[in-house]
Order: sequence, then structure tokens, then C-alpha cells
Amino acid sequence: MTTTRRSVLAGAAFAASFALSPAFAQAPTEIELFFPVPVDGQLARDMATMIKEFNETHPAIKATPVYTGSYDETLIKTRAAMKAGKPPAAAIMSANFLLDLKIEGEIQKLDDLVKADGKSNDEFMGQFFPALYGNAVIDRSVYGVPFHNSTPLLYINAEHFKEAGLDPENPPKTWEEFAEAAKKLTKREGDRVTRWGVMAPSNYDTGGWLLQALTYSNGGRWFNLDYAGEVYYDAPSTLGALTFWSDLVTKQKAHPPGVQAGGAVSAAFLSGQTSMMLQSTGSLTYIRSNAKFPYKVAFVPKNVRNQVPIGGASLVIPTGVEEARKKAAWTLITWMTAPEKSGWWSRATGYFAPNMKAYDLPDMKAFMAKNPDAQVAVDQLAFAKPWFATYKTVPVRKAIEDELQAVLSGKKSPKEALVAAQKTADEVMRPYVEQTALKLPTN
Amino acid sequence: MSVANREISPRLGYGATLAIAALWMVPFIWMLVAAFNPESMGAGMASLVPRYIPTLANFAEAWSSADFPRYTLNTMIISFGILAVQLVTVTLAGYVFARIEFPGRTLCFYLFLLQLMLAPVVLMVPNLVMVAKLGLYDTLLGVMAPYFASAFGTFLMRQAFKVIPRELEDAALIDGANVWQRIGFIYLPLAKPSLIAFSIVSVTAHWNEFLWPLMVINSPDLRPLTVGLATFTRGAEGAQAWGVIAAGTLMVSAPLLIAFALFQRAFVNSFVSSGIK
Repeated sequence: MTTTRRSVLAGAAFAASFALSPAFAQAPTEIELFFPVPVDGQLARDMATMIKEFNETHPAIKATPVYTGSYDETLIKTRAAMKAGKPPAAAIMSANFLLDLKIEGEIQKLDDLVKADGKSNDEFMGQFFPALYGNAVIDRSVYGVPFHNSTPLLYINAEHFKEAGLDPENPPKTWEEFAEAAKKLTKREGDRVTRWGVMAPSNYDTGGWLLQALTYSNGGRWFNLDYAGEVYYDAPSTLGALTFWSDLVTKQKAHPPGVQAGGAVSAAFLSGQTSMMLQSTGSLTYIRSNAKFPYKVAFVPKNVRNQVPIGGASLVIPTGVEEARKKAAWTLITWMTAPEKSGWWSRATGYFAPNMKAYDLPDMKAFMAKNPDAQVAVDQLAFAKPWFATYKTVPVRKAIEDELQAVLSGKKSPKEALVAAQKTADEVMRPYVEQTALKLPTN
Repeated sequence: MSVANREISPRLGYGATLAIAALWMVPFIWMLVAAFNPESMGAGMASLVPRYIPTLANFAEAWSSADFPRYTLNTMIISFGILAVQLVTVTLAGYVFARIEFPGRTLCFYLFLLQLMLAPVVLMVPNLVMVAKLGLYDTLLGVMAPYFASAFGTFLMRQAFKVIPRELEDAALIDGANVWQRIGFIYLPLAKPSLIAFSIVSVTAHWNEFLWPLMVINSPDLRPLTVGLATFTRGAEGAQAWGVIAAGTLMVSAPLLIAFALFQRAFVNSFVSSGIK
């Protein structure tokens, strides 16, 4: 084939038209968002609706929502996808996985993206509740953007309270009152319990979180906020918390023995099989729309002080996401966490809106006026501290959850359990500790 | 059989079988009862005896929660696609290990069997890396590919072929049958029970698989049933709406349950003659 001048010219013209044509410039950047469904199925559909709206308003980007199971499974899938060279452009990650992901170099710093928007890190994080910083900002860099967050709450059945001679307007504030109320609310027919005073989920993920909440309320620290290789499982404050939970089962006999799953606890509360429950704010909307009786929510009762950990999830960008997709992911992330969407998602789920400005919007104001229970969750934020996060968060968390379950099933004493949990956790974190705190000059 | 007769009375054995069958039935009965319960949660849900006016509301809600027709199609493509390829590979591999002499055959066979010892979870990341390299990430073929060869199936077919008298093959050989004809006309018909038994195990396993498809698939359109079901049954912070979960689970497992009920006799016979229980 001979190359004529004409064909060269035609080729150049074709190339030029290709480069300049608007269709080419706007070929949408394809990104995917990995999301777990910690709540009911309706929300998987809500998520699809939200992403559809994003795609309609951002023609230059095509985002696909990818359902990825539980929080733990989302972590597994994201890690596997990264190893296979297919990192998702963005993922919703359990807020306490961020530290571990950062240590392993699996998520990106978002500082340059924040800067490109003309903000400092402090200005950017300033839009969110301060309790959320600890799990999103690591070594002064932003690694995650809070998307939906929770704290544990005490839910009470107001009818049962009245019936037992308790005042539903004054839910228990201290462990003393809590145990007393739980005992009074428990109903028996002979040896058979027909109604429990209180239930708290002890399944993986939630169990460790609630035990942390009780430890916090008992003056404890649970983990070293500034160093990823230390947890305080075998400590007096933790022992008090675990013993209190175990006593509710064995002493007050007001809490069912054995492992309780989160969803089953909510179902038991809704059907009147338990009068109180400790549960996430993430369940609030579900309880509100399904409870056929008056209920109230309150702070988690305290022994030493009011303090709870935050829960929920943040948006992250994995390592290896290249520039164009990273920018598109950032557009999606900032859109999803802006006041309007933050408020909308909060009303749909019960999670509080991490973005404080969401509460200034008229829709949200009307909603809060109508639902004072949602306000309790926001008020408790003044007493909220970061969620437990360490090197290898999941196995370190499971170390204590396995022991918690053994205690609630009556197989171990609280002290034995905590010694064992501490030992397992220390072993899991040892490689990190040896590379950091115990890496000393040899000469 | 005579051993069983001598050691425990047949009546006792029969009773035990019935008891185990009843125990095995409990979750299925509960699922059926719960699926039609209008309450969906609460104390009444624990009952095995229906005490309500049946409703289809749970099915309607489960049906609208996920794109079931598409997910069913995906699951069928995955399960039967894997099976189709496996039937070819395990037959050929089984024949080679059973009948063809070559140096290192035993070693090769044991290496092959070693695969059975590996927990599938360990292979997840390496498999995913390979699938991505082959350009099969986020495709149904990517979900199927790692299962195209089956150590279990190969073992099963080798055992089945080994007990077929060699004289039959020799006779076919004298009649001029080539290797394909010998496999197709002699070995396969005689190993049918093993093939059917393997097919059931394979289809059931892949029908129920959750974690691997979750790893490979991103596109909502390519989700299998298990992943679709999980989107509304595994929410940790909602309550467990048992009725909807039961309805969804029933819809997901129904095709296999119906197939088993229809072909029950053939299946059971195949298990008996293949020696799998």
C-alpha cells in the first residue's frame, strides 16, 4: 500500500477531529463504588437510586454501585481486587479499617484532592463532627471521608416501662439503674422467661463495639488511640464492663445467655420479647417505621462517665487508582458527603449525618423536630470518641469477640476470657510492634 | 447388609432413619411456614405450625428486593456451564488415570488429589489474580473458570472406570473402535451413576456458592442468586424480617428442591450405585 499525500492529510484530519470532538472529550470516566449493606435491603435500592442521580447530574462520569456483602467481606473483596490489579475507584469501608489499610499501604492520602478544591485539611474535616476525625485523619493526612456514622444507643419500650412501674421519661442513666430496670422488666412463667429485660448483640463486629462502649462508659480506653499496636483488653475498666454484661445474664438473669445476633435483637425488641436493647443508631429508622408501641432512645448508661465509640463507615480511594478515575471518585465522594445527600441518607437509615451542615437544611430541621429520638443520637456525639482501630483490626477484634461469646455462653469467667483475649491480640499485633515500638538500636 | 441385620434390629434402624429425616426436615418446614406468615417477625415466627391466614406479601417484598429472574439465569449459566465443562474434563482425566499407563502416573494422580486438601478460601486471591490476567474479571466465565477441572470428579470417574472390566474395552478395540468411541460407547454408559452423582454435587455446590462470585462480579446484572439474596437478608443493623428472608430463601432454593423431588428416584439410585452418601 502506498501512502499518498491525500491519505496522510485525511488521517491527520481524522485524528484532529477525534481529539477535538466533544464526544471524545466527554467519554465518561467509568468508576465503581464498593458498598456493603449494613442495613436492610431497601437501602441497597436507595444506594442504587443515589448513584443513578449522580450519573444523571454528572455526564462525564459513569459510576456503578457494587454490592460487596458485609463490612468484613467488603474488606476481603477490596483487598483481593487490588491484588488482582482491579482496585475499585472508591469503597465504603468500616471506619475502623482505615488505620490498618493505611499501614498496609492500601488506601491513598486524599490531601492533594482536598488541596485542589482550595481547602486545607482542617477546613475540609471541619464540616464533619469532631468525634469522627480520629478514624478518618491519620498522621495529619485525610484518608477517608465519613459517609454514615453511628453510636450505640439504649432503646426502651415505653409501654413495658409503665407496666413495670418505671418512668419511661427517665430511662436508666447509670449501670445501677440499668440493672435494676432490666431485672424489673424481665417476666417469667415458672422457670421460663417470657420477656427479657434487656438484649445486646454479641455477634462479630457489633459485640466488640458494644463491649468497647461499656468499657468507655466505665472510664476505660480500650485501645491506644495514638499507636496501632496496643489494646487494653486485660484492664480493670474492661473487666468491669465484661463482668457487668455477664452479670446481666447470670446474676440479674435479665439478658438471655448465648450469642445474640444484631438483627435478631432488633426483631425481639420490635415484637416485645425484650423491653430494652443496646443497638446502633443505624437501626433507628427501621425501629421507627416498624415499632407498634411507643419507644424511647437514650444515652448508653454509664458507670464512671458518659462515653461511647463511633461506628459506621467512611469513603476511601484504594491505592493504584489512577489520576482520572481518582478525580472522578473524588467528585462522587464529595457529592455523597455534602450536606444534602448526607442528610437524605441519614433520614433513610437512622445513621446520623456526619456533615454538621446537614442539620441546617430545612428538610433536616423539619425531620428533627418531628423525630426527637434522632436528636438523642446527635446529642450523644458530644461524648463520642473514635472507634477501636489497630494493626490487623479484624483479627484483633475477633480475639475479644470470641471470648465475649464464651463468657455470655457461660463457658469462661470474665477474667479468664480477658487474659486469653489479650494474649491472642498481642500475638496478632506482634509483627507490627516488633517493627515499631520494639525496634531499638542494636549497638 | 447382613451385618446391619445382625447388629441392630431392622425396626430400630428404620426408626432412627425416620427420626433423622424428621430432624432434617425441620428447617424446611419452618421456612415454608414462615414464608407465608403475615407477621414476618415476632414470637409467632418461631412456630412450626401455621397459625395465621397465609399471605404472599413476603414473596412480593422479596421479589421486589432483587432482580430474581436475571439472577436465576446467571446462577443457571454458572452452575450448568461449570458442569458441562467438568463432565468433559473429568471423564477424560479419569480415563487417563484409570487406563493409560505412563511413567509417574501414580505421582501425578496423588498430586491431583492434593488439591482436595486445599481450602478454597486460600486459593481465592491467586485465582482472582489469574482471572484478571485472563481478562475475565467481572464476567460469568471468570466465576466458572477455576472450577473447570475437578479433583473430586476426576477421582470419582477414575474409580468408576477402574471397576469396568478391561475385556469390554479390549473387545471394542478388536472391533476397531478408537479411543473416543471406547470412552463414549463403553465407559460412559457404564459410569452413568457416577456421572449423575457428581453432577448433583457439582450443581448444588455452585448453586449455593457466595464468596467467590462476590469476589469476581462487580456488575449488578451479573450477580448470582446467592449474592442477590444477601443484599436483603444480611443487613446487620435492620431487624431480621424472618418472613421475607424465608420467602427469598425459598425462591432461591426452589429450583433445586423441585428438580430433586422430580428426579428423586434416579438420584438416589445413582448415589447407591456410585457409593457416595
